[in-house]
Amino acid sequence: MIEETLDALVIEVQEMSPKLGSRVEFDSFKSTISGPKGKLTDVMKLMGKVPKEEKPIMGKKINEAKQLIQASMDEANKRIEDSELLSSLGPTIDPTLPSSNDAKGVLHPIAQVRDQVVELFQRIGFAVAEGTEIETEYYCFDALNIPKDHPARDMQDSYFMPDATKMANVSKESDEKYLLRTHTSSVQIRTLLKEKPPIRIVAPGRCFRRDTPDATHSANFHQIEGLYVDKKVTLTDLKATLDYFVKMVFGESAKTRLRPSFFPFTEPSFEMDFYSPDLGKLSNQWLEIMGCGMVDPEVFKSVGLDPNEYSGYAFGMGIERIAMILQGVDDIRYYYQNDIRFLRQFSD
Amino acid sequence: MKISYNWLKQYFKSEISSDAILTALPLIGFDVEETEVLGPPQMEHVVVGEVVEFEAHPNADRLRLCKVKTAEDETEHSIICGAKNFKAGDRVMVALPGAILPGNFKIKKSKLRGIESEGMLCSAKELNIGQDHDGIMILDSSVALGTELNAIYSDSDIIFHLEVTPNRVDVLSHIGLARELVARFGGSVEMPKIQSNIPIVDAFESNSVLKSLTVEASDNCPEYSAICIEGIKIGPSPDWLKKSLESVGLRSINNIVDITNYVLHETGQPLHAFDSAKVSGQSLTIRYAVNGEEVVTLDEKKHTLNDSMLVIADASKPLAIAGVMGSADGEVDKSTQSIILESAYFNPSSVRKTARTLNISTDSSYRFERGIDPQGVQLGMERACDLILDIAGGSLVGKRVQIGSVDKALKTIEFSPDALRSFIGFSVEDAEVQSIFESLNFKVEKASDLKWLITLPTYRKDVSRPVDLYEEFIRIFGTDKIPTQPISANGINAIDHPIYQFNDSVGAYMIGKSFNEAFLYTLRNEEEVAFFKGEDHAETSDLKLDNPLQSDQSHLRNSLIPGLLDVLELNLARQNLTSQFFERGRVFRVIKGQLVELISVGFISLGKSLDRKWQDGVEFDFYTAKSCAEDIFRLLPFKIKEREWSPIEASEFWQAEHSAKAGNLSKDGYEVSLGLLNIKNIKERWGLSNPIFAGSLLLQKELFEKEMKHFRYKVLSNQPASMKDLSLVVDKTVFANEVLETVKGFIAQSIEGFACESVEVFDVYEGEGLEAGKKSFAVSMKFRAQDRTLKDKEVNAVFEAVQSLVLKETNYQIRK
Repeated sequence: MIEETLDALVIEVQEMSPKLGSRVEFDSFKSTISGPKGKLTDVMKLMGKVPKEEKPIMGKKINEAKQLIQASMDEANKRIEDSELLSSLGPTIDPTLPSSNDAKGVLHPIAQVRDQVVELFQRIGFAVAEGTEIETEYYCFDALNIPKDHPARDMQDSYFMPDATKMANVSKESDEKYLLRTHTSSVQIRTLLKEKPPIRIVAPGRCFRRDTPDATHSANFHQIEGLYVDKKVTLTDLKATLDYFVKMVFGESAKTRLRPSFFPFTEPSFEMDFYSPDLGKLSNQWLEIMGCGMVDPEVFKSVGLDPNEYSGYAFGMGIERIAMILQGVDDIRYYYQNDIRFLRQFSD
Repeated sequence: MKISYNWLKQYFKSEISSDAILTALPLIGFDVEETEVLGPPQMEHVVVGEVVEFEAHPNADRLRLCKVKTAEDETEHSIICGAKNFKAGDRVMVALPGAILPGNFKIKKSKLRGIESEGMLCSAKELNIGQDHDGIMILDSSVALGTELNAIYSDSDIIFHLEVTPNRVDVLSHIGLARELVARFGGSVEMPKIQSNIPIVDAFESNSVLKSLTVEASDNCPEYSAICIEGIKIGPSPDWLKKSLESVGLRSINNIVDITNYVLHETGQPLHAFDSAKVSGQSLTIRYAVNGEEVVTLDEKKHTLNDSMLVIADASKPLAIAGVMGSADGEVDKSTQSIILESAYFNPSSVRKTARTLNISTDSSYRFERGIDPQGVQLGMERACDLILDIAGGSLVGKRVQIGSVDKALKTIEFSPDALRSFIGFSVEDAEVQSIFESLNFKVEKASDLKWLITLPTYRKDVSRPVDLYEEFIRIFGTDKIPTQPISANGINAIDHPIYQFNDSVGAYMIGKSFNEAFLYTLRNEEEVAFFKGEDHAETSDLKLDNPLQSDQSHLRNSLIPGLLDVLELNLARQNLTSQFFERGRVFRVIKGQLVELISVGFISLGKSLDRKWQDGVEFDFYTAKSCAEDIFRLLPFKIKEREWSPIEASEFWQAEHSAKAGNLSKDGYEVSLGLLNIKNIKERWGLSNPIFAGSLLLQKELFEKEMKHFRYKVLSNQPASMKDLSLVVDKTVFANEVLETVKGFIAQSIEGFACESVEVFDVYEGEGLEAGKKSFAVSMKFRAQDRTLKDKEVNAVFEAVQSLVLKETNYQIRK
């Protein structure tokens, strides 16, 4: 009797459990079997009336039936759990639709070129120095051996602040005027006054010249200044460094030349030109890329270094110019319009 | 400066080709900006021919098939031509196969519409003789058949437009450049022969032309010499002279003026000729102008002078602005019969100042400003006298007067070849160094192997130190011969400046947050600065440049935000719907009456992107801006005081109650403002009516001198935490921070033996269920002990103590 009931119960569970479609169905079915008034529970209650000698056999039977029921129920439970998990997933995706998040932003093309140049110099031992955009005539000119009546010092060529201007965080040498720095070379002086050689710095920054804006002139522009001062720095070192730089930026096929020139703060002074077969419209012609030279003894004197003990080289380049050559941009003003379509051209 | 190749060859007699010169010039320091070919270059197989007869091309209406002979007894060439401006019997220029025309245009036999053409009939333009390209050139019938083109047009020339650096005034002449080419290529400079032997006196002797000559301003006119020439005949210059001047871009005026200009471009010495009949009182004085004195210069412009300017004046008026330009009052013209010729040395700074002030730059002033060769004063005078007597006739009156004498002493520099070698970093023979110096006309005297004495010519005032000699050596030696060596990078890199490190991380962070970087002008419009600050604000006046060039670039920027709004405006106007931009840059503020340059980061974002998307994106609000700003502070390489945020109340720039600020530039070294921009003003000035959120961080650069961050380990508890939530109803005007601080204070009073890790607001509610004017903050507290699991009892005790403190000491209500 018990046996029959058990067998029927196992068959019922084995038949019903695969048909259970939801957690609710599962739970209610489960209570009809193993709940307090469930069929299995009822069978178990009959155990008490089973004669003692039959108990072991009957116990075994019940256990077998329980295991079979449990297995079916576990299977149903697992199946329902899996389907519950899947149903929490939401609709399927369209892999071709874009994300609604904005794409990552872009760095400005001038910043990208600046960073690229800075990194190339960092690799060969240069560290970044910072200066201020407002400078004084002394640090921008006098200490760099630029004579008082040099054209760059004229009101026509550089932006000056009024005589009455007082600045809290840019120091003066004496009572010279403040101006917007015309080049990053002023960082050379501030650094040489503050630190002891060996000094190996690059100083990127914004500069100003009083030019009427056109395709190649902008009221402000950016330069990177380089300076290496130590004992026994030679002209050959200068050439090695700049050759490395040009080849890294413009490719191994680029040729360089040092064209003698004149700057008050270097002697000898050169313009570095390069020549590349792979530059589109600018291929196969010498292009001026930067000014450079050996630090003039007058500069060493103005920062209290003995020119017989120390030597060094310095170079300075316009970042916009390099960017324009590299990126093929023919009007500097595009860089300051910031049309996002333009900015994005140099990323991704 | 323009240099004529033909003219140059008079002093640099050499087989060196113009191409070789052209290649060499930049490498010895004279960049060639442009070359201009005047007249036809040397061409072979371009000869005079005669069109014997012609007929229409059988296969092309517009072409003619011509029979052309280039010698009387020669077979005729069959040439196809497109021009129609010739007739049978005309003499023309024929380019035969093998000819190479300008532009590397090679002529060879070729078929045109099925018929072979054995050459080309040329237009003036094709031969670089003129601009005429309407038809072929028709020559005079007297020109013999077969004459080579270059035999008819022999005056071709190449003009080099040279860039001469300001230190090399000695090269601003044909002789000057010839000296450099001799140094580079060898040979010697062929100087013009001086014929006249003019006696010099150092005091003025009165003569029939000039009664007195006085130098009052000897401080700026150390040497002045003059000579009188009478009986000259003014007229046009001979062709060679005209052509020379025209080749370097000068207009021929008359023989006397042309000669002075010629000598300037030949020797570099500026000269001036006065018509002696126009010199009132027959006297010349070199003096300072009187303030307000007026002069009409030769270019018919009126100038008002001041007392720092040197003039050459007669008894009543200035006749020239010394070293700059003559006055129309002393001009040599058709009627001139006698002249006073001036050759002088004016001090560079004086001429430069005068020319700059008057905004005149002439060939003379350009050279005086840079310092002419002291020896050139005499050479120029003598050379001009020779040419005048030769070309314009006349005779010298009296002697040449020279008042004062500019220093002509030769300079000697001590030089060590070893020092040179260690400076350049490679080895070079003594003999080579010596020969380079000698090629430059530097005298080498060896006191010993280690010490040489180098004596310089007077025209090389730019060379005064050993390092200048190193430059001269390397310039002539050739920079292309500097050996290639590996980079020497000894020692350890220094650390990048923290400002750079900071900006670098800000860039990476901001683009990760979908902001696009803009670069904007530092110089802004006054109106923009005043728009927010008011015209009377000290900042509006203190940010103004002394000498702006354009009215829209007159002020230093005090914020990055206006520029970013310009960018947003431009992009939206172009239907670029990108809504987030940032900039890293310097801005300027006035703090306690002093201008300060600050490190700044600015960003803006539309609250809601205008770019329609298939899914809704996340909106940008005050709190997004705040998290950006807080994150940027976290990027600082040093520790900085926790921001204390307070609302911005009234501002033209920010929207009150929707924006906040923290920090104080003079007290904390930083200031940050962020939130919604003033919607009314933004709409008025930029026409942007969508809500725009922005953030502006200003940092004193001195902050970056702080000590770098370093972090220390603190022992952590592994025990479980216990949480308690408390909901407090407060006045709407109360800020979260006040509630949190209050609760933290009460916890501190109540807790013992364990810690409260955090107190945070996790919900803010107002509306239904609450009184008007009230809101509620749900605050969660997290407790943990170092050494044990907390018991409910002890946590509840603290929680209850806090609640009773709230009820006792605040007017907050506890929401159950």
